[in-house]
Amino acid sequence: MPAIFAEALTKHFPPDIEAVNGIDLSIPEGQIFGFLGPNGSGKTTTVRMLTTLLRPTSGRAEVSGLDVARDAAKVRKQIGVALQEAGLDDIQTGRELLHLQARLYGVPSARIKSRVDYLIGIVDLEDAADRWVKTYSGGMKRRLDLAAALVHEPKVVFLDEPTTGLDPIGREVIWRYVKQLNEREGVTIFLTTQYMEEADRLADDVAILDRGRIVAEGSPQELKASIGADVVTVRVPGGAGQAARAEEALRQLDGATDIRSVEDSVVIYIKEGSAAIAGIVLRLSEASIPVEEVTLARPTLDDVFLQKTGHHIESGEQPPLPVYSGKQ
Amino acid sequence: METLHATFYLMLRCLRETIRQPAIEIGNIFIPLFFFFVTVGAIGQVTGRAFGVDNYEGFQLPIAILQGVAATCSSSGLGMTTDIERGYFDKLMLSPAPRLALVLGRLAADAVRVMAFTTVIVAVGIIAGSGMEAGVLGFIAVILIAGLFGLAYSGIGLSIALRTGSAQASQLGFLLFFPLIFISPALAPKEVFSGWLEFLATINPVTYVVEGTRSLILEGWDWEALAYALLSIAGFAAVTLSLTLAALRRRTA
Repeated sequence: MPAIFAEALTKHFPPDIEAVNGIDLSIPEGQIFGFLGPNGSGKTTTVRMLTTLLRPTSGRAEVSGLDVARDAAKVRKQIGVALQEAGLDDIQTGRELLHLQARLYGVPSARIKSRVDYLIGIVDLEDAADRWVKTYSGGMKRRLDLAAALVHEPKVVFLDEPTTGLDPIGREVIWRYVKQLNEREGVTIFLTTQYMEEADRLADDVAILDRGRIVAEGSPQELKASIGADVVTVRVPGGAGQAARAEEALRQLDGATDIRSVEDSVVIYIKEGSAAIAGIVLRLSEASIPVEEVTLARPTLDDVFLQKTGHHIESGEQPPLPVYSGKQ
Repeated sequence: METLHATFYLMLRCLRETIRQPAIEIGNIFIPLFFFFVTVGAIGQVTGRAFGVDNYEGFQLPIAILQGVAATCSSSGLGMTTDIERGYFDKLMLSPAPRLALVLGRLAADAVRVMAFTTVIVAVGIIAGSGMEAGVLGFIAVILIAGLFGLAYSGIGLSIALRTGSAQASQLGFLLFFPLIFISPALAPKEVFSGWLEFLATINPVTYVVEGTRSLILEGWDWEALAYALLSIAGFAAVTLSLTLAALRRRTA
């Protein structure tokens, strides 16, 4: 029995927003599953359906074999959830919040104290546990929220963009907890993210989501290998029009598996990219197209996304450093 | 059983909020008492000659009580919208606690707050000379009536909060307070009202709550007045609490 299962899961919001459009999932127990997609791709709506907060328009979903619509109350006992924008109560202390959470999940009174102390230790909030949540930093709130999702030792945990808005250190800390939780306690984790690096680092399997549909699915390695080439990105001055001309000029390039222009750049998927750069620049120069910047990289999940959808995941992440920049 | 258990802990959480933000609550006691003293001070000397009410302190005390209840319970909807806006309400809805408890916890806390504040207001009123004809049991009855009226009144803010999730809209409970309380025999007996106002006061359920409470303070045990008061509260509560439950069902559907 898969830990999480969905079949043709769909959510439409009136009048005509198709937030999630027929998603199929089968996630085995003990896996970290990454649900990767840009803002507005339907990640949160999917999580809200899987966690019983939203009723699907059609299709069905099961968590631990329980139907999320029919057995909603039972599903809620099985799962731990940390939603985007850690929903916490400012004027309780962290410890009080965890105690209340434990009460609501029916943790036996005798065990509440030790469980709460243990969780506070796990997420390193010993010093802050008796301060009001109001005084916590964004990272501390996320950690408390994660602890709150775990009070009842759930077997399946949903984390909706657990690191959005955190600095790189805060992000590393959350990643470490998530890994530990999965490895030590065998918890199945469903994690949504708009950061390809996060999906790459944490997830055993990834589904890439765009406009409410899954456009690619597999392990990060498989997905990246499916590109089968290096990625050369050439930025040209003069915007999208020039980029389209550049795409045309490079059309017949030897060894290129795919070429597409995106905004002010041309992205070339090509075997042995380092050897191909000279030829690329030469061709552009023959076509009188100046070059502003050339970047060579191994394929990332963003390239998989780009190949499937024709646009980037807007994640705000830094692109790799250029190997050549016309501005220098 | 599960509902009671969750309601109890959610009530404690709301009460903790109250204790930690005393500034908000002080107004709920201070403002009604302020109006009580200025009203009595302004016309208390002439009400006997004007409309035959000699003990105007006793006449005004129910208004201070109900004003306190309305102010206290109006902030309940605000608390709910804060939870909704912060996403904490989602966290509560994700828990296996029965969803009815999410509303009952707040209502129970409101009743406790109302009864605590009413005790203070009535005590001050008695010290100021209102008297309490129905004695110690009357005092307790006044506090219970206030608690029940509070449950009904909270339903206004909570239903709006659950339906709209908007903090501003949930403050409507406070706006409704003016017509509900002042279109009742708040300042004078309704026999001296103009015809149109007397008509409106007669159909306003709060009128009977005022008269029932007032009877305990000024006259003693008037069972008929008390029955009308309780029936009015029950009717009022039936409307506001069904709206609240309907809004809760809609939000959790």
